[in-house]
Amino acid sequence: MSAAADRGEDRSLGSAAASADEASALGRLAGAAEDRPAGIEGSGLPGPFPVGAYAVRLRDGLRDRPRVQLFGEVVNLRDGGRAKVYFELRDARGAMPCSMWRDDWDALGLAPGSLGDGAQVVVAGGPDYYPGSATSSPAFSFAVRTLRVAGEGDLLAQLDRLRKLLDAEGLFAPQKRLPRPAVPKTIGVISGRGGKARDDVLAGLRRRGWAGRIVWAFAPVQDRHAAPRIAAALRELAALEEVDVVVVARGGGSLADLFAFCDETLCRTVAMLRVPVIASIGHHTDRTLLDDVAAVSCSTPTHAAEAAVPLHCEQARASLAACADHLRLEGRRAVIVRARALAAMTRAPAEHVARHRRTLRQQLRELRASARRGLAEERERSARRLLVVSRKSQSAVVAHARGEVALHEAATGLRRAAPATAERRRRDLERLGLALAAHDPERTLERGYALVEDTRGELITGDPAARAAGRLRVRFHDGRVPVRVERPRGAPAAAQGEQQALALDDLPAGPLRADPGHGEQR
Amino acid sequence: MSTEPEPTYEQAAARIEAIIRRLDSGEAGLRETLELVREGRDLVEYCAGELEAVGRGLEELELDELVARLEGGRGAPSGDAPPTPER
Repeated sequence: MSAAADRGEDRSLGSAAASADEASALGRLAGAAEDRPAGIEGSGLPGPFPVGAYAVRLRDGLRDRPRVQLFGEVVNLRDGGRAKVYFELRDARGAMPCSMWRDDWDALGLAPGSLGDGAQVVVAGGPDYYPGSATSSPAFSFAVRTLRVAGEGDLLAQLDRLRKLLDAEGLFAPQKRLPRPAVPKTIGVISGRGGKARDDVLAGLRRRGWAGRIVWAFAPVQDRHAAPRIAAALRELAALEEVDVVVVARGGGSLADLFAFCDETLCRTVAMLRVPVIASIGHHTDRTLLDDVAAVSCSTPTHAAEAAVPLHCEQARASLAACADHLRLEGRRAVIVRARALAAMTRAPAEHVARHRRTLRQQLRELRASARRGLAEERERSARRLLVVSRKSQSAVVAHARGEVALHEAATGLRRAAPATAERRRRDLERLGLALAAHDPERTLERGYALVEDTRGELITGDPAARAAGRLRVRFHDGRVPVRVERPRGAPAAAQGEQQALALDDLPAGPLRADPGHGEQR
Repeated sequence: MSTEPEPTYEQAAARIEAIIRRLDSGEAGLRETLELVREGRDLVEYCAGELEAVGRGLEELELDELVARLEGGRGAPSGDAPPTPER
């Protein structure tokens, strides 16, 4: 054996004293010494012992080791319905084969398929060794008495730390800044081969009316191999110029199952890609780091396919056809409408004249109708007037006849009253003539009165006027006598109110009677 | 001579809608109307081409197959292979 083996023996059997105890114990198990072959010459180690005895002793020694709890990732789980369930427990520094009795395994009450490769578990138990036999191989394993799936809280805490790290580095933003074409011609899809996600993606694309090119990149979507393979597929798809967008799709599962999509390297790869990545990982309640890094995160592969083709192609085709029709119509209408406007403008003068002609005809018709109405009304008014005049004429004839009768009667009355009336009138006339004659001034003059007047014939009715006139005329009923006013001798020249004498320059024949009352009044 | 970059489908569709709004407003003159109609028709043809590219039938390839095809005939157009019938 090698030196290493020797060192292993040293660690297994302990010190020299322990080796002596072990050797004696093995000797008791080994049976009679005469049945044993001779040892290796020159070797100081005890023995040789029968291997079965040694294996049993080794098993017992391992079973005496203290029971402990280990944690790690489940790999190569073999649950084949046998008496034991086998798997390996691994981490970055080593691994340990594990076994668990079927009864203990079933007592865990795990749902079928809930614990698979990649799951983080905690196991409790201790090392054990099956010594084998002449017909069976020995085996070492860590005998698991009980097991606990590492809680999602453990994974979530780990996930949260990584999420904060990537966010702080700004790796969630680059994908979201990438432009996503409305109509991608080539779509890359990463999913598990034969998974339901593939059908869902196709259904989503069909719903969009999209029938372009799909490039499938099948990769494991669970366990420790998944993340590197998915990252490699993403890099290869992004390297193809034809690929416009990439969909990463995986169906539902536990957080442990989806943990491959929280891989740090995968997330950093996605953040640096030139094409937008649309993630649809697990159910809508799951949120992997790939969902955060990707350009769009969708709840189902169907929605991811629809997000990869934002435009509904069938509707877009219909809309585009409507736009084409609209443009064709507008182009045609732009010309036709203007042509019609031009034609209308050329017809405008003739229409204007025709319109005026129609207006004139209408006015002429109205004029004629109005004239007819006026004539009829005038005729009616004239008939009414004629009727009135004829009635008035008849009444005038009657009145005339009555007047003649009345006149005749008046004439008869007058003829009867004429003589008496003439006599009465003659007497009245005589009386009036007498009364008039009584007031005639000539009659007064005839009775001896005279009038004094100046040379112009104006009557002098007082002393001052007579003195002022100086020369007067005295009028008698049969002629006039000129007289001159003289101041009596010896009388004061300016005696007021004194009677002045009349000097007769040319005294006519006949008496001159001084009667102031009659001289001044006629 | 610099060439205008080809518009995206969204840009072309948005421009078509803007053209139709302008035509519907009735404010465009005859010359502008005819130019807008011509531009709109070109954009509709472009969009129809884009939609036609994703309407000829679903073509499914595996990544390795596409890589091999591209590596085997870089000169040949990638869409030469007949599309597989839609599932």
